[in-house]
Amino acid sequence: MNDRQTLSRPEKVFNKLIAYLTKPSNVIVISFLIILTSCIVYPLYSVYSAAMSVGQMDSMMYNSLFGLHLKKGDMTFLNFSMLMLGKYSREYSTSFFWKPLWNSIRMSTYSSIIALLVGGIIAWLITRTDIKYKKYISSVFVFPYIMPSWTLALVWKNVFANSKVGTGITGMLESLTGICVPSWFVYGIFPCSVVMGIHYAPFAYILIGGILRNMDANLEEAATILKADRWRIIRKVTLPIVLPALISTVLLVFSSTMASYAVPVFVGSPGDFYVMSTMLRSLYSSSYSGQSYVMTLVLVLIGIGMLALNQAVIGKRKSFTTVTGKSGQVSFVRLKGNKLISLVIVIVLFFMAIFPIISFALESLCEVQGDYSTLTLKYWLSREEIGGIHVAVGKGILFNSTILGALWGSIKLSAVVSLVVGTAGFLIGYGVSKNRGSKLATLLSNVAFFPYLIPSMAFGSIFLAVSTKLLFLRGTFLLLVIVASIKYLPFASRSGASAMMQLSGEIEEAAIIVGAPWHIRMTKILFPIQKASFISGYLLPFVSCIRELSLFILLTSSGTLITTLLSYFDERNVVQMSNGINLLIILVVLIVNFTINKLTGASIDKGIGGN
Amino acid sequence: MPEIILKNISKRWGSFKAVSNLDLVIEDGAFITLLGPSGCGKTTTLRMIAGLETPTEGEITIDGKVVFSSEKGINISAAKRDVGFLFQNYALWPHMTVFQNIAFGLETLKWKKPEIEKRVQEMLETMQIVQFRDRYPAELSGGQQQRVAIARTLAPRPKVLFMDEPLSNLDAKLRGEMRTELKRLHKDTGSTFVYVTHDQLEAMTMATKICLMKDGFLQQYDPPLTVYTLPANRFVADFVGNPTMNFISGEVLSNNGSSAEVRILGEHFTYKASRDFTIQIGAATIGIRPEYLPISESGSLKGTAYSTLPAGMETTVKIKIADTLLSSVMFGSLDYKIDSDICFDIVGSNILLFDGEGKRVAAGTLSKVE
Repeated sequence: MNDRQTLSRPEKVFNKLIAYLTKPSNVIVISFLIILTSCIVYPLYSVYSAAMSVGQMDSMMYNSLFGLHLKKGDMTFLNFSMLMLGKYSREYSTSFFWKPLWNSIRMSTYSSIIALLVGGIIAWLITRTDIKYKKYISSVFVFPYIMPSWTLALVWKNVFANSKVGTGITGMLESLTGICVPSWFVYGIFPCSVVMGIHYAPFAYILIGGILRNMDANLEEAATILKADRWRIIRKVTLPIVLPALISTVLLVFSSTMASYAVPVFVGSPGDFYVMSTMLRSLYSSSYSGQSYVMTLVLVLIGIGMLALNQAVIGKRKSFTTVTGKSGQVSFVRLKGNKLISLVIVIVLFFMAIFPIISFALESLCEVQGDYSTLTLKYWLSREEIGGIHVAVGKGILFNSTILGALWGSIKLSAVVSLVVGTAGFLIGYGVSKNRGSKLATLLSNVAFFPYLIPSMAFGSIFLAVSTKLLFLRGTFLLLVIVASIKYLPFASRSGASAMMQLSGEIEEAAIIVGAPWHIRMTKILFPIQKASFISGYLLPFVSCIRELSLFILLTSSGTLITTLLSYFDERNVVQMSNGINLLIILVVLIVNFTINKLTGASIDKGIGGN
Repeated sequence: MPEIILKNISKRWGSFKAVSNLDLVIEDGAFITLLGPSGCGKTTTLRMIAGLETPTEGEITIDGKVVFSSEKGINISAAKRDVGFLFQNYALWPHMTVFQNIAFGLETLKWKKPEIEKRVQEMLETMQIVQFRDRYPAELSGGQQQRVAIARTLAPRPKVLFMDEPLSNLDAKLRGEMRTELKRLHKDTGSTFVYVTHDQLEAMTMATKICLMKDGFLQQYDPPLTVYTLPANRFVADFVGNPTMNFISGEVLSNNGSSAEVRILGEHFTYKASRDFTIQIGAATIGIRPEYLPISESGSLKGTAYSTLPAGMETTVKIKIADTLLSSVMFGSLDYKIDSDICFDIVGSNILLFDGEGKRVAAGTLSKVE
């Protein structure tokens, strides 16, 4: 025993610091705060400075317009005033900034409404009514979310494109019935909104369904006892309770749609429908980098605004979304015309979830688009170079070293990213739940969610700006890993935290008492107990990463990843190849998802935070 | 010798003080209960000793070794304090079998396989759960889970065992059985037990010493019978014992050496203690345990039967006298008609006198002045 009664101040502070740092949860919180902050603050600063300086084409444009002598990299406010304030002409600002912004906002609004209605209604039908085929509906309904977002956009094109619009490719509808739908139906805001809405509907379904499922059925039964009719119960009891989930769904879908790139490229751009992300890309690829970073900055600010709104709404009302735990036996509403409704839903789901796969397979087999008498396997199996009209296509998909290399690249990247993100999510969840309520822990969970605010396209362009300064990162695999890891951290850390919160502190304390060191407690106790949830934290980033396009498109060449390659073929109208590749991606995603689901019980729902 | 010493321990959460300036010495081999109503700081105290919670101030010594000192900035982790902890919800690991749960701590201590096997088997036998060896916790009843939790805690032979309301999730009958077994285990293991409970009966029946707390402050730290017969204040007197003590408010008319004149229930009494005491003239309270109010036909005090609660072995009779309701406990099964007249006495030498602030100033006899 130390008999000295007084210690010097530095000694005391040192002892306290040691005591603080011997707790692994404290170390985790501190180190992640440092890593994440530097991974977010520095990039944001680079974007700001990039937006304040001129790019190659920017400078040529300004010099000729205003008789200046700007060089690439000079600091200027012109990027802002050109784009937003009509410095050159009002038309320029309108067509390059305000109109795309307005389009983005409209598209996001419509998509959120569609997602909410479709997802919400399905969630209610599944949890509260006696609708048939529940198992089929609930498992197939999440397909559109698991599949890449442009899947449905491509299907839309495959079905509705016709000889009278755009590139004049013949779609399925025309070749089977001869009907040509009008141009607005094929390209523009309508298909963009519908496709995005359907893509995010499962997201709404998972969030709202999770709450409905866990909501104490007694709350509704109490209203039934008081003789409230079904509609009144929905309006007065159910809706207010799920309202925070509804609002949060709308905001999350809104910001995701705002950030989407692939869908507007596939079914927007051909109809001259431009949104922020597509305009950003086209400005960037034409070397107007200054102006493209201004757009990035605007997208980031909108994202931040959305999340602030989300926090404000959820923060206040969180209290009654908390799960009561025991939900009794729910008495199901008996649907009138149950058979008909069930059948309609099953058919619609078939078109949303299963038909795309068939469609891609079919289109990849057609020598002439839409002409099903010209079926051929050559786009899959040809060992010889296939002659393209505009572009070198290469060998058939299964023998094409570029495609297989890109697929392997995507799988490798996704595997590494999911390992990094899943582990980080688990650790952050642990740190946050152990330090529950402390300021640092709250700060960490907010910082970890921050990347969600930044649209993928903007995120990609932010790290592009970083890589022009940190040259050793430029175009490397490491850069892709870093970008994707930070981008996918939000849901992983959230699901990690919620899984940890469900474990009572005693579970770990019981192991501490018997002297089990930290790594044993993690690997032998905590992880195995919540295995399904934590593995979901690994699964979601894998699935998101392998189908990601907009995050990577600025950062890497088209042959590196399967999605960038897909975009390359699509932009050049090699329809068989893009469809075939798409089928490949979907199959990989579905196989991985179902294998892991069967082996461990992990699922995408759990990754998002549903139950 | 694993003696546990708490010096001036305090725990604050923000501005809320959970434990205030607690001094406590837990002797080797003792069975201590930390007793008090919920929110009194007893669980916090236990967790601080075990190292699961960090005190804001003070010093804790276990077995002569300082394990925590705010002064010196020492804070030894729970793992290195060599203690066992039995949790309220058992905290059995759901993904491990009974065997794996019990063996885990031994594996951590790097015991050899055959030794682990032997020790676990021994524990399974002691706790009479051999047949559940390969089951998962979810497949056991609450009582069986409790036994597994105890086996897991005792397996590494901890010198000190902490228990946080371990019986509160069991039904009344099982609780009774477990009490008996815990007391046996205490004897057999020779370890120091520190036990948190809000159930005064548990504290009374098992402990060698009770540490009674209220609002984070220590109220009394004595053997159970002392706490029962000579409570330090009204709170302790009220908390311990069932049915609760009768508190009769009255007035001290005079105080001289070891005796006093008091007026209660509208009558004059002489109060005689075994030693001198001083109390202010004026309002005071007399505390009488129900067993010191025997009912008899020759009783000198008269009241009416308010209600009778026979429980078989004993009967609690509520007596109404001069607007005061008193409890009396009689052996055997009795039944008085409601509102019938009842005569009773005040007997025994442990009638308590509390001053205006609720502090006990004396214990003695009370006799009516004719």
